[in-house]
Amino acid sequence: MSIKRDILWRIYLSYAFIALLGLGILVQATRVQTVRGSYYRSLADSLTTSYRSIDAIRGNIYAADGSLLATSVPIYDIRMDLKVDGLTSEIFESKIDSLGRGLSQIFGDESGREYTRRLREARRAGKRNFLVKRNIDYQQLQQVKELPIFNLGRYKGGLVVEQKSKREMPFRHLAKRTIGYALAGVAPVGLEGAYDRVLAGEGGKRLMQKIAGGVWMPINDRDEIAPMNGDDIITTLDINIQDVAEAALLRTLENNAADHGCVVVMEVATGQIKAIANLGRDSEEGGYYEKYNYAIGESIEPGSTFKLASLMVGLDRGDFKPTDSIDIEKGKVKFFDRTMRDSEEHDHRNMTITDLFAISSNAGVAKLINQHYGKNPQLYVDGLRKLGLGEPMNIEITGEGKPLIKDPKGKGWSGVTLPWMSVGYESRFTPLQLLTFYNAVANNGVMMKPYLVQEVRNFGHVVQQYKPVVLKDQIASKSTITEARRMLEAVVEKGTGKNLKSDQYSAAGKTGTAQVANDRYGYRESMKYRASFAGYFPADNPRYSCIVVIANPKKGLYYGSYVAGPVFKEIADKVYASIINPAMEEVKKEQSHRTIVMKNGAHQPAQVVLKKLGIEYLEKASDAEWVTAVSDTTSLALEELTVSSRKVPKVLGMGLQDAVYLLENAGLKVVPMGKGRVKKQSIPAGSAFRKNQQIVLELS
Amino acid sequence: MRALLQHIHLKGDKTIWLIVGILTVISLLVVYSSTGTLAYKARGGNTEYYLIKHGSLAIIGLVLMYFVHHLPFRYFSRVSQLGLWLSVPLLVYTLMKGTNLNEASRWITIPIINQTFQSSDLAKLALIMYIARMLAKKQEEIKSFREAFVPIILPVAVICALIAPANLSTAMILFMTCLLVMFIGRISLRYIGLLIITGILGIGSFVFVSYQLDLFRAKTWVSRVENFMNTDVSEEAYQSQQAKIAVATGGLIGKGPGKSTQRNFLPHPYSDFIYAIIIEEYGLLGGAFVLLLYLGLLYRVIRIVIKTPQAFGALLAIGLALSLVIQAMVNMAVAVNLFPVTGQTLPLLSMGGTSILFTSIAIGIILSVSRESEGDEAETETQTPVHATA
Repeated sequence: MSIKRDILWRIYLSYAFIALLGLGILVQATRVQTVRGSYYRSLADSLTTSYRSIDAIRGNIYAADGSLLATSVPIYDIRMDLKVDGLTSEIFESKIDSLGRGLSQIFGDESGREYTRRLREARRAGKRNFLVKRNIDYQQLQQVKELPIFNLGRYKGGLVVEQKSKREMPFRHLAKRTIGYALAGVAPVGLEGAYDRVLAGEGGKRLMQKIAGGVWMPINDRDEIAPMNGDDIITTLDINIQDVAEAALLRTLENNAADHGCVVVMEVATGQIKAIANLGRDSEEGGYYEKYNYAIGESIEPGSTFKLASLMVGLDRGDFKPTDSIDIEKGKVKFFDRTMRDSEEHDHRNMTITDLFAISSNAGVAKLINQHYGKNPQLYVDGLRKLGLGEPMNIEITGEGKPLIKDPKGKGWSGVTLPWMSVGYESRFTPLQLLTFYNAVANNGVMMKPYLVQEVRNFGHVVQQYKPVVLKDQIASKSTITEARRMLEAVVEKGTGKNLKSDQYSAAGKTGTAQVANDRYGYRESMKYRASFAGYFPADNPRYSCIVVIANPKKGLYYGSYVAGPVFKEIADKVYASIINPAMEEVKKEQSHRTIVMKNGAHQPAQVVLKKLGIEYLEKASDAEWVTAVSDTTSLALEELTVSSRKVPKVLGMGLQDAVYLLENAGLKVVPMGKGRVKKQSIPAGSAFRKNQQIVLELS
Repeated sequence: MRALLQHIHLKGDKTIWLIVGILTVISLLVVYSSTGTLAYKARGGNTEYYLIKHGSLAIIGLVLMYFVHHLPFRYFSRVSQLGLWLSVPLLVYTLMKGTNLNEASRWITIPIINQTFQSSDLAKLALIMYIARMLAKKQEEIKSFREAFVPIILPVAVICALIAPANLSTAMILFMTCLLVMFIGRISLRYIGLLIITGILGIGSFVFVSYQLDLFRAKTWVSRVENFMNTDVSEEAYQSQQAKIAVATGGLIGKGPGKSTQRNFLPHPYSDFIYAIIIEEYGLLGGAFVLLLYLGLLYRVIRIVIKTPQAFGALLAIGLALSLVIQAMVNMAVAVNLFPVTGQTLPLLSMGGTSILFTSIAIGIILSVSRESEGDEAETETQTPVHATA
């Protein structure tokens, strides 16, 4: 029995030891609840529930005719959870090589072996969110989902897909700088930047809880802040004029090996900017691209185009008349120690003001202005301000260059300031500011504020409309305006702008050839020029005004008339033919009877539209994602449109936005031409294609 | 109820049966609650899948327990020898080519029924039984080094050494349990003390060498202990942090059955960290109740030991009970972050596949000892404390 007793006390001792451990467990549990309890409880709240933001869809930017200038398309980041329960070593090891190879084939950036190595390493490190590839498109994503391991799905294969969106500009470079961009941490550019608030919409917030399977579920509806999708903005840009302007500018820059240039086309009556092209040379690769918004941002000495303002000051004050004659001294007039020369040597002496303006005589204008205002330059400067010059335009997009008109009482005013100022030096204006002034002359003296956005829309509803704004009711008397316009017409009729004459219409404007001050040597040693042309057309009933500025043409020609003028003429010719006098086009418009014509496109919006309009239709495509509308005079039917992801989708009849979405998602690069619905696609539907292959869409 | 119990000839300590019954019910509740996440991940949202699987195993376990408790316990003396001889090659085989789960080769698959099981579960059971047998046999010369200590410590050392590479914590717990049983079985304290020192040195050098050569799972062991020692709250290991959140949010009475949120964050909420989920759902009170059930189980086994005349029966019962309760204590201590993270399941509560069956066999053996010590007339006597406990 002693053995048993001996065993028993040992058992009791063990029991006491274990009971003590049990007590320790309870004490520790209590400690966790009390001592650090609040910390862990707050941690729990932050872990299990959180406000998850829901992205709003950014609005589109449209041209005036509805052409899509900027839109958002989805792109994806793919990550891999290498510790998912279902991904056993057996599966991983047997398939990792083919996964690596597949990734390499799809993206072509790394070898399959490198992909495999990285994934193995990530698995060893137990990564749950390993970044495989950023910014892949929809088509690539579909391929990735088919790869070994990834085809097992989220919980066995560990594929994690994150959708983002990418801004796409269907017309590529067209007005790119003006459309601009808005990126976090970068100064906003263009309309995207200026209207970022409007376009971005407002992200929603939703209180969600993490539930089984790592899925986030909304807790309730009440706490939810629905995302407000961004509004669309309708610009004043005319895609056709923009296209012509950009093309003409590019050709001229290339022909003259110029540094950079810009073109702005404005509608005379409203101040709407119809086209704005800015091209700068790529310093490394050559070629030109939308580098900087010179038209709005670059404040420059205007050169001869400014002579109009100088003469208008005198005309409006009644100090001289266009018919007055003065001696221009063979184009060489001395002011103190400096001589004002005309750009070309000549023997002319007595000339009317109209004529000396037409040949752009520096000596003549400088002498005339100095005669009248040399004693009291303030009168001249006040006159300029009265013309509406020297004020910023406050255009929507940021970065407008500041105008500069020197003050006679201020520093830096000397005896030669006035004559040089009168011919376009010493002051600074942006091309847009100068154009606004010319536009006012064309608009019978009413100065319109230039603007780029005419409407903000939300799902087709107009949210805000921007009407033309008058900056100055009358910049000069009617007679002065008439005289000024006669003089501008004379420039094209018989002066430096002779080469711009057209049989179809008359144009008016002024050439400008300014020497560009060299930083080190001033004007004297500088061989850099800036050629410009500012004017409007048609001369008798102005519809559009336009300014062209070409910086530093290098092929020997630097006169505004030869370098900048042809750009103006090309734009004017096209615009006149297609918009102002489209006699040929009239015939086309007679088709629309009662037939309902509908673009091909996404199914659900089509239903919504038809329902809203109260149009009866036959539903023949109940489950389809994309539909085509088949119609005659009596009925309308929606039929399924088969869109294959591997082959080129059929986009005939679609609107540009739907077409771009489909094609770019399929991996094609879209080059649209024209406007309206897709009439022709350069690669036929159903044919195979290379990734990033270009497809040209003809719209009509 | 009593009629039913009598009908199926439930013998042995009724309180133990009751404790097993209560634990099984709690187990079903908590496992059902905590396998939701796993069911979503692996079974496409079929949340009943694991409940049914676990429930079936629990029932098979009970049947096995019932069957075993009707066997005369002296059979297990021989069975232990057999089990031990079977364990050694199985453990070696497992080490060589086991199914890799969580990077530890612990599992082997039985060919025909295609069921995986941890060979260490079998070895553990066989070893404890074998020690009980040896201790009982050597009682006459129990203080002898050569006659008693060596023959007993040798199989312990071999089995633990074979388990250690894949599952160090199980090996250590088993080793400690064996020492405790040897202490109870009156092995000289001198030798045991000596053994503890060599054990510490042995394990220390084993871990050191493995760590240096990056063998086995040495990095995991060291990082787990490092994490445990680390007092900086912001850097604490994910698992322990999530477990503490579960404990902290449970409060006194818990969130209620099935209301756990931490089950979505805790890895293995249905096995390694089931106790944290129990505290989260049933509060400190629920946690204490579960802990008392295990202590109650051990207490009832001590009662059996007192009643059992044979040394083998007594040592067999207390050895198996200690093994089970110590494992439970370690699991609970890990869940409340009293111990560093180990992969121990909570016996009778965790969803653990085949280890449930081994636990059931162990309890069956204990009940068998109880049945024989009580005799037939004692059957109704134990009814009274049942009501007291419930």
